Amino acid sequence: MSNRTRLVAVTLVCLLCIPFSLAAITAEDIIRTMDGMQTFETSYSNGSIKTTDRFGVKESTFKAWSQGSSDSLIEFTSTAERGQKILRTKGSLYLFYPDAEELIRLQGAALRQSMLGSDISYEDMTEEKNTLDDYTVKLDGSELVNGRDCHVLTLTAKTRQVAYPIQKIWVDKETYLVWKASYSTAQGRLLKEMQVLSTIVVEGRTLPKESRIEDKMKRDSATIMALDTLEVNIPLDRKIFTLENLTW
Amino acid sequence: MTTKLPALAFRNIFRNLRRSSLSAIAIAVSAMAIMALLALLECMEADMQTNLTSYYTGEVRIRHESFEKYERYNPLHLSLEVDAVLPLASSVEGVEAATSRINFPANLYLNGKNNGALGVGVDFATEVAFIDFPSLLTEGRIPQEGKNELLIGAILAHELRLNINDKVTVLTSTALRGSNAMTFEIVGIASFPVGGLSSKTLYIPLDRAQYLLRMPGQTQEILLQVAEGFKEQEVAQEVKSLLTTSLGLETETKAWKDLNMMYSLLSIAKLIYYVMAGVFFILGSTVIINTTMMVIYERMREIGTLGALGMQGKELTRLFLLEGSFISMAGSTVGTLIGLIIIAVLGKVGLNFTEAMSGVDMEISSILYPQVNWWIALFVWFYAILIATLSTLIPSRRASKIQIVEALRYV
Repeated sequence: MSNRTRLVAVTLVCLLCIPFSLAAITAEDIIRTMDGMQTFETSYSNGSIKTTDRFGVKESTFKAWSQGSSDSLIEFTSTAERGQKILRTKGSLYLFYPDAEELIRLQGAALRQSMLGSDISYEDMTEEKNTLDDYTVKLDGSELVNGRDCHVLTLTAKTRQVAYPIQKIWVDKETYLVWKASYSTAQGRLLKEMQVLSTIVVEGRTLPKESRIEDKMKRDSATIMALDTLEVNIPLDRKIFTLENLTW
Repeated sequence: MTTKLPALAFRNIFRNLRRSSLSAIAIAVSAMAIMALLALLECMEADMQTNLTSYYTGEVRIRHESFEKYERYNPLHLSLEVDAVLPLASSVEGVEAATSRINFPANLYLNGKNNGALGVGVDFATEVAFIDFPSLLTEGRIPQEGKNELLIGAILAHELRLNINDKVTVLTSTALRGSNAMTFEIVGIASFPVGGLSSKTLYIPLDRAQYLLRMPGQTQEILLQVAEGFKEQEVAQEVKSLLTTSLGLETETKAWKDLNMMYSLLSIAKLIYYVMAGVFFILGSTVIINTTMMVIYERMREIGTLGALGMQGKELTRLFLLEGSFISMAGSTVGTLIGLIIIAVLGKVGLNFTEAMSGVDMEISSILYPQVNWWIALFVWFYAILIATLSTLIPSRRASKIQIVEALRYV
């Protein structure tokens, strides 16, 4: 084979490889798409948090509003917590109690406290959807979860500011829904597990409707969080996410 | 001869006054130390009893049957209905006073930080029989029912730089396993004898606690005071039975002595200290044993002469025993008297354990005022004489076994 023929052959092979390399998705791409699928310009939902522990079942209901990836407001509507609100804005988390004359700002370890005695922490409930800012990601392979083909990814925290140093997530290859997740310490001790039980499709996106969360630090405890309604990209007053709004 | 023995023994003590004094001092020091130790223990026991029955458990405590099992989870939902349980428990013969309390872990939210504290919801009207709040107040007044007012421990207020009329938000978990927060105005600052109470406790009206903790009409525990002449255990049993038969309610109703491990330990410690007192006296008595032995060796010729003049062995033993007992009596009397003086002074000045007890979670007051207990004084006095006298028996018996001829030859 002459040098000229060899050059043409190599060029052809390279040209043939281009579409494959373009099609190969990276771990970062998966996370970016996953975060994008969970983030809306605005959203409104209502639902319930049902916690089962050694003392029985406890149910709390809530209404929630969100704007982008960093602003969210939850208001509890169940009798025991009626009027209590949780606001996340500008990276800070505030609690409003109707009988307290001041807002309580949660910081540090307090963010990891259980919300209403459930298996969900305040941070879990209001987390920002910009995973790549806090984690490095590695694609481990594929696995079937609930009959769905999923990417398996391991997320390792870049900083110590996050609640879960290691996350293993199973992301649907088609819908980018996180079907399953396990959260661990840097040493590999399992802290929490999450599994999606049922889904809801909103504006072409598949989102969790019912999820089961288990805090592995608690014995015999599990929480099911369910959404009754979810509306996205609706007009919302920007004031909803201000501290002033909390107190009225 | 027998009738003259005490006089002879008494005179012999002064033959070597320095040595006799040394023996007496050893007994005196032992008696004084034991006297002070037992008085302090008595005082600690009495103080602990007062504190436990006033601030913690009452003389009888009623709780939901399962509360203790899950206590570390703060199971406020395992509660008692005040209107049903309180009148019934109060109707039992021997129950002098009753009150409801709700203890809850609280966070005081100040300047963006949560500060841990122990909240107690109390009925200030019925608490009179348990905690004398007015006498404990250093500033302000008692919180009023129906108002968001609180009374705070003096050390806690000092550490958090809180003053009367300041407002503070109390954050806590509710009986419904949710969370809640309320803002209270500080209307009273109290200094409790137990350091732990002053450094971490705040008291709010019971109705406000019920509202904060989502426990309408409920209480975590009901405490009873028992009238004099009645036994706490028997009253507790009677209350428990009555609640079961009348309300079908299974409760954990116990007398304070059965609830407090620390108090039981203190009682055991007291017994151990009584045994230790014996050891102390035996140690003190070694000096008197030594003195008696020395005396016997020194007066060997005299013993021989007395024997030759007709004194029996038993009389010789009794002579030395009497000498020992006179020295013991003198030492014990002096030691007990000094001990009594020390206790009387400490009873006025007080023993301040504030520094030593800081951070120690014990139901003992930071300042203790030991009181003179005449029974203890009598016990120590007699105990010291008995052990020291019995100790001299060992060398004294030797005197009776000495052969007269051998003794007369002794140089």
